[in-house]
Amino acid sequence: MFEVFLKEVKELLRDRKTLFFVIALPIVIFPILFALLGFLASKTTFEAEQKVHIYYLANASLSPDFEQMLFYHKSFRPYKGNEKFETIEALKSAVKAGKIDVGIEIPATYDSQVAGKHQQISWHVVFNDAQSINFVYKRLEKLINKFSAQIRSTRLEALGAPQKEHPAILKPITITKVDTADKRENYGEKLGALIPYMLIPLVLMGASYPAIDLGAGEKERGTLETLLLTPVTRTQLVLGKFLTILASSISCALVTVSSMAIWVAIAGGIGVLDTIIDAFSSVTFTDFLLIFALLLPVAVMLSSLVLAISIYARTFKEAQNYMGPLSMLVFVPIVVSVMPNMSLNTTTAWIPITNVSLAIKEIIKGTVDHSAVGLIFVASALLAGALLMFCIRWFSKESVLFR
Amino acid sequence: MIVVNGLKKRFKLAKELLNTTSSSDSRQREGFFHSVENVSFSCGRGEVLGLLGPNGAGKTTTLRMLSTALKPDAGSIEISGQNIVKNPLKGRKAIGFLSGTTGLYGRLTARENVEYFAKLHGLKGRALKSRCDELFTRLSMGDFLDKRAEHLSTGMKQKTNIARAVVHRPDVVVLDEPTTGLDIMTKQNIIEFIRDLKADNTPVVFSTHHLDEVALLCDSVCLIDRGTSRFCGSIEAFKEVGQSGELNDAFMNIVNQGSLHV
Ligand SMILES: Nc1ncnc2c1ncn2[C@@H]1O[C@H](COP(=O)(O)OP(=O)(O)OP(=O)(O)O)[C@@H](O)[C@H]1O
Ligand SMILES: [Mg+2]
Repeated sequence: MFEVFLKEVKELLRDRKTLFFVIALPIVIFPILFALLGFLASKTTFEAEQKVHIYYLANASLSPDFEQMLFYHKSFRPYKGNEKFETIEALKSAVKAGKIDVGIEIPATYDSQVAGKHQQISWHVVFNDAQSINFVYKRLEKLINKFSAQIRSTRLEALGAPQKEHPAILKPITITKVDTADKRENYGEKLGALIPYMLIPLVLMGASYPAIDLGAGEKERGTLETLLLTPVTRTQLVLGKFLTILASSISCALVTVSSMAIWVAIAGGIGVLDTIIDAFSSVTFTDFLLIFALLLPVAVMLSSLVLAISIYARTFKEAQNYMGPLSMLVFVPIVVSVMPNMSLNTTTAWIPITNVSLAIKEIIKGTVDHSAVGLIFVASALLAGALLMFCIRWFSKESVLFR
Repeated sequence: MIVVNGLKKRFKLAKELLNTTSSSDSRQREGFFHSVENVSFSCGRGEVLGLLGPNGAGKTTTLRMLSTALKPDAGSIEISGQNIVKNPLKGRKAIGFLSGTTGLYGRLTARENVEYFAKLHGLKGRALKSRCDELFTRLSMGDFLDKRAEHLSTGMKQKTNIARAVVHRPDVVVLDEPTTGLDIMTKQNIIEFIRDLKADNTPVVFSTHHLDEVALLCDSVCLIDRGTSRFCGSIEAFKEVGQSGELNDAFMNIVNQGSLHV
């Protein structure tokens, strides 16, 4: 078994393509990902900040004060065309047609002497919220609130309340928030859900590239038949091959996690991407170790799975055809793990991949239950054992070997 | 000495084949394809036996059973008195196998390929080294020992494969169409290899479609047709039964006689 393992590892180390996918890719994927994320985020935010919105104010004459406010705001510019959009419908189609960015309708019942009236009135703001980073509504809301505050102030004074009492009337009690959920828990929820998406597919990749070569590749190159004629038992062969794939998969995981740790440290050093740094800030070295340890059951499970597939496949190509959908399928249990209200407990610990992905999320959040983690190892070992039995059975089955 | 008696092997037919192919082939029955129905022959020390037969006769299936890759449904294979059907592990140690489609590990060197199989056969340390060196010298492999197998020429690969097949000093050597698709030079490697084995008194069983090789190398032949051995004996007896001094004609005659009986 050891001979098989050593030889497979030697052969693997001489395969540039596999080395690239197992070692090089995980090293570069994080800086690329971080850089891309940071670049896109800052670029779109910057653009959105710089944007000047073209507006149309319907029934502008009803509130000259507001019209003035809007006109002198640096981020707003009035519509210069000849068309009139005096109804909400007209504003909507103007926004859709791209003639204006935002339309404000002051209802016809509005009275500029509103200060004396004791009723609420509703203005309509028409805009397109499809863009994820969009400041138009926020800016306008701020402006209208400011305008609204002016009116409120006048009314209160008209009711006989002096200016300096207004805060106490409007907000008799203020709240100072003392939150025990630190930044880590908040960001951890989001980032922790993201990490398994990157890590687990990489572990799969680290397993599937060599697996194709070690199972189906052996059939295709005509070396399997001679291998089966040596006194080495099928169990030894399967275990030797399994260990090789596992080693590759674990190296991939190891490289990935260390690369992640190193790049987070580097990114922290040069102060980019504050969100990511904040989320990782309280993730300790032990947590990184725990994340790595958790990738082991995934690696064990996936290694035995891809080996079984590869042994079953007749040719290289057939094996690749099976691996393709698998790399998509592996996302399903990860998606399950980020569904609301999913957490790691004695039940979810039995669902392969979902369990680990939940655990990783909770480690980054800092809320992991360690006994459930133990259960993950048990569940994964059982599953991997069963899959290896399949491998051994298939490796002894004539109809699979000589298909 | 290898003695093969009454070998049978059938394969389950694939579902899509079950209905489409008509049962015009008498070997296709009850959802099975009877690849080998009754094959018997023997090959003693220093003897070279040629396994002949038309395409699809069942030669490869037979040889795979000898190599223990396939398990016979019935019949026995004895090597030096040991039934290797019952004890495949003994068979694996006793047999050296090489087929035309056998490959090498491309990213390992010629030396590493041979040594890997030596190790799998339990050779270690000095014994391993001396056995490998002996083979490397005998097959004059010195020039390319440390080149990766993927960069070797067909002839070099062939030699590496030969060394690999006999590294554990097998009692019997089994070759499945070892010369198919090779040029004259590389074919010569094989022919010399078989002669060497014969000189060492190692029984050799090999299948081939080239009757000139049979004339050159074989002491006896076994002719398989549609899964059954129709003839087994010396070259002289083969010509006699085939009623021709030409191997080609004798081959045709025996196959045609066989079809008359069916
Ligand atoms: N694994 C298998 N499953 C189903 N049928 C098989 C299998 N292996 C061989 N056969 C069938 O058994 C028959 C004999 O095949 P075999 O390869 O032994 O013939 P052969 O004598 O070696 O032919 P050739 O001269 O073409 O090499 C063929 O018809 C083949 O289709
Ligand atoms: Mg054949």
